Amino acid sequence: MIDVGRLCVKIAGRDAGKKCVVIEVLDNKFVLIDGETRRRKCNIIHLEPLDETISVEKGVSHIAVVDAFKKLGIELVEQKSKKKTVRPRTLRRSKLAEKPAELKATLVPKPSTKDVTSVVANVEKSPVAKKPRKKSVEKAVEEKK
Amino acid sequence: MVEGKLRSRTFRRIKVKTPGARVTVHYRRRKPNFAECGNCGVRLKAVPRALPFELKNMPKSAKRPERPFGGVLCSACMRAEIVARVRND
Repeated sequence: MIDVGRLCVKIAGRDAGKKCVVIEVLDNKFVLIDGETRRRKCNIIHLEPLDETISVEKGVSHIAVVDAFKKLGIELVEQKSKKKTVRPRTLRRSKLAEKPAELKATLVPKPSTKDVTSVVANVEKSPVAKKPRKKSVEKAVEEKK
Repeated sequence: MVEGKLRSRTFRRIKVKTPGARVTVHYRRRKPNFAECGNCGVRLKAVPRALPFELKNMPKSAKRPERPFGGVLCSACMRAEIVARVRND
């Protein structure tokens, strides 16, 4: 019943309800499948055989399986792995100077925390009233002199 | 005496030991019931018994199995359903 080229529906796991084809019979319990499911080893208990077969050789490549499924009218959608998004990284100014020009476009200089002179300049300087010394302290200071 | 709304059995009561070593009663919402299979009524595994605000912060994959009818049918009923659909076609 389950042999190479047999079209099946997977009935267990996250690929349940998806069509696949048997590529290789590993032993009396396990087969290798490919198709709408991922290409993987599978227990034959987890397969529901259909009455169709595809003429494929033992252990065919995934590309050949895609072509065979296309003839049946099933388009296999390749799941692309997510591309890493380039996010602007902050770098120190000193290190930024060493980087080549094309890298500089993606890198943003870190906002400096040292540049506070402009803030300080705006602050008005007001004389701080000195606290009058205690009489006892004043005496002690004079005696020292 | 506590607020009137807390005097019903809508809330469950928890005994909490305070820092002053006094035991007080706190009132919490009761947990929802176990999720059950829509076909055979068996308790579903891997479906948390948590309050809506707890479920909100959980990832989707932590809330139900990652398979067709996950969190609705048990695995045996799901298999039977798929097999029945395949054989009818």
